[in-house]
Amino acid sequence: MPVPDLFLQGIDRGWQVLDASEFDSEQTFEADVIIIGTGAGGGTSAEILAQAGLKVLLVEEGTLKTSSDFKNDEAKAYAELYQEGAARATADGGIGILQGRTVGGTTTVNWTSSFRTPDQTLAHWADVHGVKNLDSGSMAPWFARMEERLGVAPWAVPANANNDVIRAGCESLGWHWQVIPRNVRGCWNLGYCGTGCPTNAKQSMLVTTIPAALEKGATLIHTARAEKLVFEGDLITGVQCRAMNDRLTLANGQGFTLRGRHVVLAGGAINSPALLMRSGAPDPHGRLGKRTFLHPVNFNVAQYDNDINGFYGAPQSIYSDEFQWSNGTTGPIGFKLEVPPMQPSITSALLGGHGQTNFERNQKLAQSNILIALMRDGFDERSQGGSVALRDDGNPVLDYPLDDYIWDGARRAWLAMGEIQFAAGAKAVMPVHSQGQMSRNWTDFKQQVEGLKYAIYDVRLASAHVMGGCAMGEDPTRAVTDSLGRHHQIENLSIFDGSLFPTSIGANPQLSIYGLVSRLASSLATRMQSPT
Amino acid sequence: MNSINSARINRRDLLKLGLGASATLATVGMTATLSGCSSSQPGVGYSVLRDTDIPVVAAIMSGLVGPHPALSQDTLQAAIDQLDTTLAWTSTAVQTQVTDLLGMLSMPITRGPMTGIWGSWDKASIAEVQAFLKRWRDSRLDMLRQGHNALSQLLLMAWYATPASWAAAGYPGPPQI
Repeated sequence: MPVPDLFLQGIDRGWQVLDASEFDSEQTFEADVIIIGTGAGGGTSAEILAQAGLKVLLVEEGTLKTSSDFKNDEAKAYAELYQEGAARATADGGIGILQGRTVGGTTTVNWTSSFRTPDQTLAHWADVHGVKNLDSGSMAPWFARMEERLGVAPWAVPANANNDVIRAGCESLGWHWQVIPRNVRGCWNLGYCGTGCPTNAKQSMLVTTIPAALEKGATLIHTARAEKLVFEGDLITGVQCRAMNDRLTLANGQGFTLRGRHVVLAGGAINSPALLMRSGAPDPHGRLGKRTFLHPVNFNVAQYDNDINGFYGAPQSIYSDEFQWSNGTTGPIGFKLEVPPMQPSITSALLGGHGQTNFERNQKLAQSNILIALMRDGFDERSQGGSVALRDDGNPVLDYPLDDYIWDGARRAWLAMGEIQFAAGAKAVMPVHSQGQMSRNWTDFKQQVEGLKYAIYDVRLASAHVMGGCAMGEDPTRAVTDSLGRHHQIENLSIFDGSLFPTSIGANPQLSIYGLVSRLASSLATRMQSPT
Repeated sequence: MNSINSARINRRDLLKLGLGASATLATVGMTATLSGCSSSQPGVGYSVLRDTDIPVVAAIMSGLVGPHPALSQDTLQAAIDQLDTTLAWTSTAVQTQVTDLLGMLSMPITRGPMTGIWGSWDKASIAEVQAFLKRWRDSRLDMLRQGHNALSQLLLMAWYATPASWAAAGYPGPPQI
């Protein structure tokens, strides 16, 4: 049954969508607002600013891929839709990083979990980071507005067996569990959110806010990197861009320039600070690219007698916050428990072992479940996160040192995940550690986890949530922007993406970005409409 | 997804190793040769991998994948092609790191002392390859454990991205829309 490709239909109706790799001469594009990046922050901003009657121009480093390109093909999707072909990692390779790079940014490839920013997180930002007016009461209508816009609702279909492990285990242990709200409409429950939604059910920026902005006359230029902001005094007077090559490894194509009254930076928490660094933007207090957080994730594999088939069905539908706030907001690191989708390519990288051992684990793929723990970094003094720097070629890299604070979290998270899996009927459970082995019972598993070496490369870590690096806050000596996302030193620059967060979120961050940015972009729209 | 080996750190660690008293590893003190020595041209039909990389990748992938019933010359080649495509879409930084690592593995002067594979890769037995993988995985040197992770993740992801690998893993394949 063919699924209508809403985006291609829009282009046929006359949307202004330009592929920079087809440019053959130097050009200048003008608009009221230039938005750099088309993910959660850029997409949300584009709709609000375009509906306010402003001429909006979006620029995106990735290519335009739409529902008719999405074939549930893992390898193709990781290569074409993710930053650095899904091989992005921290500087020392200690943490793999999954971040989108396509029109719609990470929202095109995320797993749809949609949580409001926890009250504890917003309170912590106000208390410790000088963030003003973003209390949970005043944020609630903004979250509600975006939940309505993007169809966010608790998943009403029964969870797949991979997710149901969390329910069954937590129920038997008397631990917290809850159904995950997802941003979908008419979801087919396929399980391939991570490779781009083939049915346009996921309410990503690709099928919601960006089309709405284009309907209002916005222009989208894709396959082009914003290389440099041009300054005159404390004003940005232009954005220098260059087309990407056909595999998006280099911006070595035709150059062009964007001009606008205002610039919204929404490249995500690695690329946004990197553009400011490449541009030599003012950073008088050395805050740019600092305190970048990842929700570092570790993994626990379990094998069952029954089929799990975790490669099919909504990838994330049940979570547990039993250990998220149990030690308070600060203190030893808290973590959220979820599952990943279990398609074979991504899963094979986690099973460990060589030859016979690896094959035996892969043979049990359909009877296996994986739990993940998303560690809530950045709240305790001991957790300062990472920092973004530029490689010699101008591309960014995140240095994120690993230490005992994280290792303690990884150890506790493995114990929690193993306890849930055994309580849900697992026959064998294994921590994803280079020396990990299948334990047949809880006592043996506990001994194994306590006896492991906690060291880089041994403990497998990954992240799909990059946050911070352009922190907001009222004190310019500690923050890059104010609480409205306005850059402290640059007059006509707003930063509207996950890089604003002063800490990690403590939940999958997409709805935190939508809610916050809808509020900040609405405020910007009002300021730009009123005569000054 | 992949923890990719960092070439810069590699060379620094190699230098440290070379300056140490280890007789076997002294040869790799010639770090200056590492980046410049191996061919930089991709092989015919490849975007990133060089001809000298192919036997290395084929041997290590066979060792990792083990007794998979679908493993054959043809399916192995399909997985190597997949790896090359994946690498073609990563950043130039990742490409450099991976090709530096493969270069170190393919050059005889570094291959022997670093891996314990003293003959050529295409003559190495599965047992020898697996001994090398275990040696790197269990090493106290960060650089070798990092190299092990990079290789095992990239190569296994490539193999299990190929449809030939799926039946034995109990994966019926993606739904057709």
